Amino acid sequence: MLGTHPRLIKPKADIHIELKGTPTEVRNALETLRHKLTAQEFAACNAGVLEIVLAEVLNNVVEHALAGRNDGQIVIACNYADQCWFVEVRDNGAEMPDNQLPDGVMPDLDRDLLDMPEGGFGWGLVRSLAQDIGYNRHATGHNELSFRVPD
Amino acid sequence: MNLSSKAEGDALVVSVHETRIDASVAIQFKDRMREETDTADGRVVLNLSEVDFIDSSGLGAIVAAMKQLGGKNPLELAGLNENVDKVFRLTRMDTVFRIHNSLDDAIVI
Repeated sequence: MLGTHPRLIKPKADIHIELKGTPTEVRNALETLRHKLTAQEFAACNAGVLEIVLAEVLNNVVEHALAGRNDGQIVIACNYADQCWFVEVRDNGAEMPDNQLPDGVMPDLDRDLLDMPEGGFGWGLVRSLAQDIGYNRHATGHNELSFRVPD
Repeated sequence: MNLSSKAEGDALVVSVHETRIDASVAIQFKDRMREETDTADGRVVLNLSEVDFIDSSGLGAIVAAMKQLGGKNPLELAGLNENVDKVFRLTRMDTVFRIHNSLDDAIVI
């Protein structure tokens, strides 16, 4: 299926959002996404799952790839086809550790209440909800993540 | 981060008057929860009925609030919409928190 992904950045993605790499910009981008998803042509789509996945992907970029940077740039392209969202996210941050995607194993909850984990859920959520996740590190210093989210 | 609290029966109900609990407000949420539950003596019900989105940072902040309260004041949840509920289920945090179908259910008990 990977070969069928629409290529980034096609001149006119169904949804195209650019943002700087900060938590506030991520929030604004997700609100923009939601606004676009309520537009007539996408009104029947299940926007919730796409929003959850994109939130975790973007938070991860901001907190890790772009940590300590103030020149972070992120581009999101979402295309809708065959009851599926095809998504590509590009950023100018550091590459994934070992050039690999996180395994996304959910933290173990078999422990005392006061020792419950407060983090480490992000990639578990991405892996639970997204399919065909691909990652490329480009020689230009960009990360490109692609995945699809069934509607 | 707009939170309010009110004693209802044997519980302290803390209501979140925001549409999102996400990475950009997780720390404020934790701080405001500490302020609102300062005098809690028994169960605390977090009313999420106005919240339509949380991410894993928001989830982590709710877990942190539960830990701040300690074992004596259990933190319970009510008013989860479909997307918020999904985040709790996928992370299995629905097995850690008592989740009520509605605020009314949470108070009647």
